[in-house]
Amino acid sequence: MATQIPSTTFEEFEGQEVQQERLLEKKMLLSPAMRYVLRRIGLYLITLWGSITASFIFIRLIPGDPIRAMVAQMQLQGGYNTISTSQSMSDFYEKQFGLNGNLLQQYLHYMNRVLLHLDFGPSLLSYPNPAMDLVKRGLPWTMALVGTSLVISWILGVVVGALVGWARKSRWADTINNISLGLSHIPAYFVAVVLLFIFAYNFPIFPANSAYDASIKPGWSFAFLWSVIQHMALPVIATVLVFAASWLNGTRALVIQILGEDYLTFASAKGLKNRQILLGYVMKNAWLPQISALALSLGAIINGNVLVEQLFRYPGVGQLLVMSTQQKDVNTMMAIVTILIVMTLTANLIVDLLLPLFDPRISYSGK
Amino acid sequence: MAQVTTRTQVAPVAQQELRQEPLLQIENLDIHFVTQRGAARVVDQCNLTVHHNEIFGIAGESGCGKTTLVEAILQIIRFPNRVTHGRVLFSPPGKPPVDLMSLSQAEMRRYRGEHIAYIPQGSQNSLNPVQRTGDQIVDGMVAHGISERQAKAKVPELLTKVGLEGKVAHLYPHELSGGMKQRVIIAIAISMEPELIVADEPTTALDVNVQRLILETLKTLREEMGVAILIVSHDLPVHAQLVDRIGVMYAGQIVESGAIRPAVKEPLHPYAMGLMASVPSIGGSRERLEGIQGATPSPLNWPDGCRFHNRCPYVMDVCTHVPPLLAQPEPGTRQVDDLTRTIGPDHLVACHLYPESTPQTGGTHE
Repeated sequence: MATQIPSTTFEEFEGQEVQQERLLEKKMLLSPAMRYVLRRIGLYLITLWGSITASFIFIRLIPGDPIRAMVAQMQLQGGYNTISTSQSMSDFYEKQFGLNGNLLQQYLHYMNRVLLHLDFGPSLLSYPNPAMDLVKRGLPWTMALVGTSLVISWILGVVVGALVGWARKSRWADTINNISLGLSHIPAYFVAVVLLFIFAYNFPIFPANSAYDASIKPGWSFAFLWSVIQHMALPVIATVLVFAASWLNGTRALVIQILGEDYLTFASAKGLKNRQILLGYVMKNAWLPQISALALSLGAIINGNVLVEQLFRYPGVGQLLVMSTQQKDVNTMMAIVTILIVMTLTANLIVDLLLPLFDPRISYSGK
Repeated sequence: MAQVTTRTQVAPVAQQELRQEPLLQIENLDIHFVTQRGAARVVDQCNLTVHHNEIFGIAGESGCGKTTLVEAILQIIRFPNRVTHGRVLFSPPGKPPVDLMSLSQAEMRRYRGEHIAYIPQGSQNSLNPVQRTGDQIVDGMVAHGISERQAKAKVPELLTKVGLEGKVAHLYPHELSGGMKQRVIIAIAISMEPELIVADEPTTALDVNVQRLILETLKTLREEMGVAILIVSHDLPVHAQLVDRIGVMYAGQIVESGAIRPAVKEPLHPYAMGLMASVPSIGGSRERLEGIQGATPSPLNWPDGCRFHNRCPYVMDVCTHVPPLLAQPEPGTRQVDDLTRTIGPDHLVACHLYPESTPQTGGTHE
């Protein structure tokens, strides 16, 4: 024999490594699941800080000085007109709004105020009311709108998409697929304009603006809820049409890929009924990836919602964001952006933590 | 639990008699593959018979149509493959024969799993990745009218039969080794006690030890359950270990079929001879393996006459234009070119070296 077997074989090396790993695991006090959760939460906090800081910097970089514009406005109305008063007024308001000092000082001031007091400073839009109050007023409307659109479009898109993929050769599936391919590339606000024109202007079936009929007193009455649903219908339909279409396309592609898998051939060779194959094999494998995609799509649906709210004069944070941008209301903008970032990232965190419960192939250990 | 055990407890003697009766008869089966350059005849005029309780092997090189043929039996053949002609008669005991090719998908579903089970080629990916193996055994039985409770009760027994522990039922496919997955698939295949198991390369991608265990399991199942097995493999030693009769397939056609011993020891068809010569023997002298000259022809353009003629060392004039028929040569010992061959009964061959294969009318063109 020309080649000698080395004294330490591969198996022994491997054995040592495995032993060391076991020792390490014993030393660690936390279970793999706990470590996964902690790591994921750590990542969440870092991402949160990074994105809030980035939006802080970008919003401060928008040119223009809202305070000087406001002071000039006040001087015009009030008639007093000395340089010293205008300077001291500017200084006073800059301090009020947290806009004094350099960028770093402003940033520290902002983080301190937000983290310790959950306070974003006063709003410019309705001074001296805090920006947080404006956001609080709009947030429930936006959450209802976005939440409803998200849930309906996901369920509709995934279910119809699976059926369209399943029956991909039939004419009706082909038709639906082509329509949805077209729809998914149209922006939601354009669909909203078309819907407004048809169903609020030409055929006034639905109301065109605001969130409820002003003549009805807000409360938990049936009349009020019905009015809310009526006002929500068009914006929700506009968003659902576009987003359900993209869910549909994604799920259809996923299902067609699954239909080519070996386990599907075997499933039909077992003599399973079509219903069993569709539910137990096709849907079960298609909806898991779409759950992770659901959390990721939250950002996109919120973005799309901003312009839809504006079109329908819906009193949510989307419309508020447009108004505050026009007025360069820095504090309100930051409040809205920060809260939307927190919502999106938290939703992602929750899905990431829950996914191992749904998908047997994902384990907490991260191996 | 005992209620759902063996459906037909056949006495050994009766079993021997049954072995003479055909269970599956494939008659003149054509399968075409529709391409842009025309229809490719992937399986062409295929004839073979599997008897009750028999293990029948199909051998042949890659691309000769083995897998397509067995998929056609179960009608799980995929577009663009299509059965264009022929019958597949299936005769379960005590029932009239039925032509599987004439059944609709809904009617065929009742046969799949219940009467004809399938062990697929890609066994590593043939289990649903997001379902526990136990549930995958159960859903097949439920599809054939067994109550879920009864089906669940039968799972441990099925797993034991294929040499697995009962707790495997609670695992997901990714938690199993390749050999274990293959056993789960066999457990699914036998769950309805079918008359026929169609196994497509059941041991490919498994190491020799696991391979042997799987083959042993199949053998035992045949003895215990009285099932017939149609096994496809390119691996001749697998056939030599397991099967009773073998069919050698070349270019979409069965070129030789017969009992395994004579077919391996004294193959009649030159292609079969080449195939047997390609198997190295452990302990034999390390010579260059003979193998077969040339490459497999394309299904889009099979050669005229005998499809093997351009690779055949015994090629004659007639081979280039007359397709030989699959026929039984007169039993007895005879001299074939430079070889002495003892031909037994029930040994069919399609080769002009045996005058029985040459069509009598002469000049038949395709």
